Amino acid sequence: MSISVGLNCPACGGAIQVADGEQVVNCEYCGSMLYLEGDGGVNTIAFKMKVDRGAARAVSEEWFRKDWKARDLRKEAKVLEIYPIYLPFWSIKMRVIGWICGYDERTYSDSKGHTRTERIPKEEMVLNDYQYSEIACDPGDLGIKRLRNFLGESEFEDFGNIPTYEATTSKDEAMKRIGEEALNDARGEAHVQHVTFERVHVLPRALSMIYYPIWVVRYGYREKMYIYTVDGVSGEIISGRAPGDPLFQSLAITAGTTIGGLIAAGSLYLMAASETMDPTITLIGLAAGAIITFGAYMFFRHGSEIIEGDFTDKKYGLGGLDEMGVVSDLLKGRIDLGGRI
Amino acid sequence: MKVVQVRCPNCSQPIYSKIKDIVFFCENCKVLHIRGGETKVIDYEIADFNKTITAEKKYMPFWRVWCNFTINESRVSGGTFRKMAQFMRGGGNSGSLFVFVPASEMDVATFKQLAMDLTMSPPRYSTRLDFGGLQRLPTKITNGEAENVSDFVFVTIQADKPGILQDLDYDLVCQEARMVYLPFVVTESGPRPAW
Ligand SMILES: [Zn+2]
Repeated sequence: MSISVGLNCPACGGAIQVADGEQVVNCEYCGSMLYLEGDGGVNTIAFKMKVDRGAARAVSEEWFRKDWKARDLRKEAKVLEIYPIYLPFWSIKMRVIGWICGYDERTYSDSKGHTRTERIPKEEMVLNDYQYSEIACDPGDLGIKRLRNFLGESEFEDFGNIPTYEATTSKDEAMKRIGEEALNDARGEAHVQHVTFERVHVLPRALSMIYYPIWVVRYGYREKMYIYTVDGVSGEIISGRAPGDPLFQSLAITAGTTIGGLIAAGSLYLMAASETMDPTITLIGLAAGAIITFGAYMFFRHGSEIIEGDFTDKKYGLGGLDEMGVVSDLLKGRIDLGGRI
Repeated sequence: MKVVQVRCPNCSQPIYSKIKDIVFFCENCKVLHIRGGETKVIDYEIADFNKTITAEKKYMPFWRVWCNFTINESRVSGGTFRKMAQFMRGGGNSGSLFVFVPASEMDVATFKQLAMDLTMSPPRYSTRLDFGGLQRLPTKITNGEAENVSDFVFVTIQADKPGILQDLDYDLVCQEARMVYLPFVVTESGPRPAW
């Protein structure tokens, strides 16, 4: 993961290669050991803008066609504004090292309905390196919260003439947030249901501030304004909003509702047909049917827009799944109630 | 952001190396130092290698951390073996030990094995003043991190077989880490001691 930077060896003048977050550098020409000294221990690098205005505009051609975007989008979309910016990101490597101990519980039930709970003791060693990034400013809602790419050609703090957002979040807070995220990821990987002992160290391994070049493109479609952003290094779309296609939406809702309904009906039919069958299978079937129906509904409820990236008002994806979680719990409650009658 | 040439804090000679090491050894005056927020000279020992071993030997860096511990309570499912008995003082529940933290890059299994083996049976060796022309593996863990990792090694010893660790109430106080270079022969089944 080597980045070429615009710095030279103070001993021989040779160009230096640095890896993200690393402080020690060997001059490959004279063999001198070199050390990078950043402000407060933070290395700052800026990736070179590799994508020009024309390419940033052209990348939409393909993107407009994908997914269920309005079919006439390519023809009707008018680019209103297109400009480059640099956004600052904290880039942190974290090593998580420790032990998480406890137990899992498994409940078995026999044919007579007796249940038995077994405790399975667990001791899980945690030893992982994670790489995280987090945007270090508030650029408005561009749908960008983290870096996807850590590779590029770099200059140290040379932004050309491109407007640059200042970093506004503090290093300590970013480290703290990312430390918690790393700890949670480690807990997730250890997968101990009931924790009785936890001793985990989160060690920041490398910290740098990366200024990343991005194209912002605003375009209009039938009186409404939309946006997309382009990675200035790879030329790929990072985030964007686009109008959805009304026909695709109605088709998908119909299909989703039909499949959901069929699964629910099928599981009820199975229960009626076999008296010995475990009723939980029917309940799972009903729930699955409901979730699929509901999923199709959530996906297209706000259907006028297709959204990609980390927008705060994202209508589906993670946001939609959260809502689905709540509703499927409610559904379970209702099904349990029905079972007692 | 600037780049500086690393010079020995003792004799000011520039340091040359082909490998990326976070500790810097001065060939001129034999001072070892590390840089982070500040430049710090580190105490170190180099274990003499066994000259009768003809296979290629390499020096691996370890942080050796002197730790005082007290085990208030330990609960292990399916095992009651007292792992720290050899380090306990007079039948009590506290004692002291040198924790060895492997400081170079290696896979998790080797890391665990080396840390456990060296901590449970501390190596005896005579020391020498230089590396005798042997290759030296680069250090990747800082002295500051070594203290946290000592704590990890301590718990790892408790968690190691037999039984499954369920709870451990303990205090561990670590002193400043010292660097120890130990010679190993690298084999397919992992590093083999060569002192
Ligand atoms: Zn010196």
